[in-house]
Amino acid sequence: MSAAIDQAPRQGLFFRRKRPTAGDALIATLMLALVVASAFPLVWMVLSSFKTTAESMQVPPVWIPQSPNFEAYEKVAGVINVGRSMWNSMIIATVTTAGILLTSLMAGYAFAKYRFRGRNLLFSVLIATMFLPPIVTLIPLYRIVGSLGLNASLAGVILPNLANAFGIFLMRQFIAGVPDDLIDAARMDGASEMRILFSIVAPTVTPAIAALALFAFVYHWNSYLWPLTVLQGSGDQYPIVISLSRLLSYNRGAMNTNLVMAGATLAVLPPLALFVFLQRFFVDSIVGSAVKG
Amino acid sequence: MTRSYSGSVWAMLTPAVALIGVFILLPMALTLWLSLQHWSTQTGFQTARFIGLDNFFEIFGPTSVGRDFKGAFLNTAIYTALSIVLILPLSVGLGLLVHQRHVAGGSVLRTVLFSTYMVPMIAVALVWSKLYSPTEGPFNQMLGWIGVGPQPWLSSPDTALVSIVFLNVWQQVGYFTVLAIAGLTQIPHSLYEAARIDGANAFQQFYAITLPLLRRTLLFSAVIAIINAVQVFEPVALITQGGPVGSTNVLTYHIRRVGIERAQGGLGSAMAVMLMLSLIVVIFALFALARRKDDE
Repeated sequence: MSAAIDQAPRQGLFFRRKRPTAGDALIATLMLALVVASAFPLVWMVLSSFKTTAESMQVPPVWIPQSPNFEAYEKVAGVINVGRSMWNSMIIATVTTAGILLTSLMAGYAFAKYRFRGRNLLFSVLIATMFLPPIVTLIPLYRIVGSLGLNASLAGVILPNLANAFGIFLMRQFIAGVPDDLIDAARMDGASEMRILFSIVAPTVTPAIAALALFAFVYHWNSYLWPLTVLQGSGDQYPIVISLSRLLSYNRGAMNTNLVMAGATLAVLPPLALFVFLQRFFVDSIVGSAVKG
Repeated sequence: MTRSYSGSVWAMLTPAVALIGVFILLPMALTLWLSLQHWSTQTGFQTARFIGLDNFFEIFGPTSVGRDFKGAFLNTAIYTALSIVLILPLSVGLGLLVHQRHVAGGSVLRTVLFSTYMVPMIAVALVWSKLYSPTEGPFNQMLGWIGVGPQPWLSSPDTALVSIVFLNVWQQVGYFTVLAIAGLTQIPHSLYEAARIDGANAFQQFYAITLPLLRRTLLFSAVIAIINAVQVFEPVALITQGGPVGSTNVLTYHIRRVGIERAQGGLGSAMAVMLMLSLIVVIFALFALARRKDDE
């Protein structure tokens, strides 16, 4: 009986038992407290970005700005070139994502649907790179990209990241589920392998492609260590996450909390907006890769 | 599928394999090779001069190079251990809360928890440095409300590293919660029903069913959490610069400072090799431990 209640309880909007127990009340309170605690830093960030400089210096701290204003945002625009930085971030994130989608689809298809000598070995070697922290290869990579003449350029930020093991792994997992008959029928009709991949296989794994695109975009929008290393000194190429550090050093000593919060808010918006609108894809692909893997 | 498409195989594989080969596998091999060389990062690879294991002797030696490396290594180990110890139990607890069916709102909690994982670490570091601010930050204000005195947070060598662990846990725990939920949904409901019929209470059910069946998920989570933890960089680079008195000098920050900023490519590579070896040892030990438990 109690199992039936657990499985399909639809009695109430919030509490699902007809008579909520003390345990239910405790769970509800805990969940509410956790939502508040988890959201607090970001809420504080947005609230502080609308404070005046005087307000952001006040002790004890003011929680809600008395007269919300855009003073801080205007000042940010005076310290860093927001438009240029956002544009750089957009270029880095979109081009890298497009590259990852293309290389992952192709390699994932090969690993899922072709038999060839050394397939498992090659796949294992590629997957092993997923567990390699970037710092381990940073020093020689910096030199290699430098010797290609790509230091201080967006191309240098983008090129080394155009393929990655996670994408190949995810695509192989999902393409393996595409029926062979579908592919064989297309071959019978004389379609080329590229055509089969992009007009037959790819459309059947759209959710996985969407998930990979979102992950790649957010990851490369947020990425800091590599762009900082390649672009050192050339400020007009900085993505927004690196430009932000200038807000902290700007006017050091004097308080500039509202300024920093306004800049952080701008940098957070694109990845967070993507997540809020397309959350389902993120969650499904994590669950998919963890359970299947 | 028995037909061979050898031409197509290579056409499909070449872009990914070439990119990963040149930009990950080759640098990996070079890191190993450079760790045995005296080499300045500002010059070409051909200027490297073989010096055997001297770099390793130096980073474990009694000079300042050795002291700094050993400090960074220890800080990274503490940071990683603390992160795992906090993240794994939290992720299971939060996963159970999202997964339970008595009270609605689980998916809201999941969304809020997971959304922090999308926030750039640099923004997390900036925001938390202000939350931690000793006088005008809200954390000390709130502690005051419950009668706890102000904490130094990032400004004291005793608390700075732990303060960075907290912001890391806040950012990452949602991702691991989603993994835990994925594990929880795999556990057949009939097991709990059987246990209830046998009179097992909620705690007994958790220890006898939930925890053992989550072992694979937790192993996966632990490996990912370790690899994420050793990458901590932004809060250190931006806020503490490794201080106060070296208390937050962690390996990713230290290796970059030595190998890129000071251009001591050989020394930096030796440190990177030690990091990689340690990771391999820890991860293999985890897998061995999980396998022993499976056999029991």
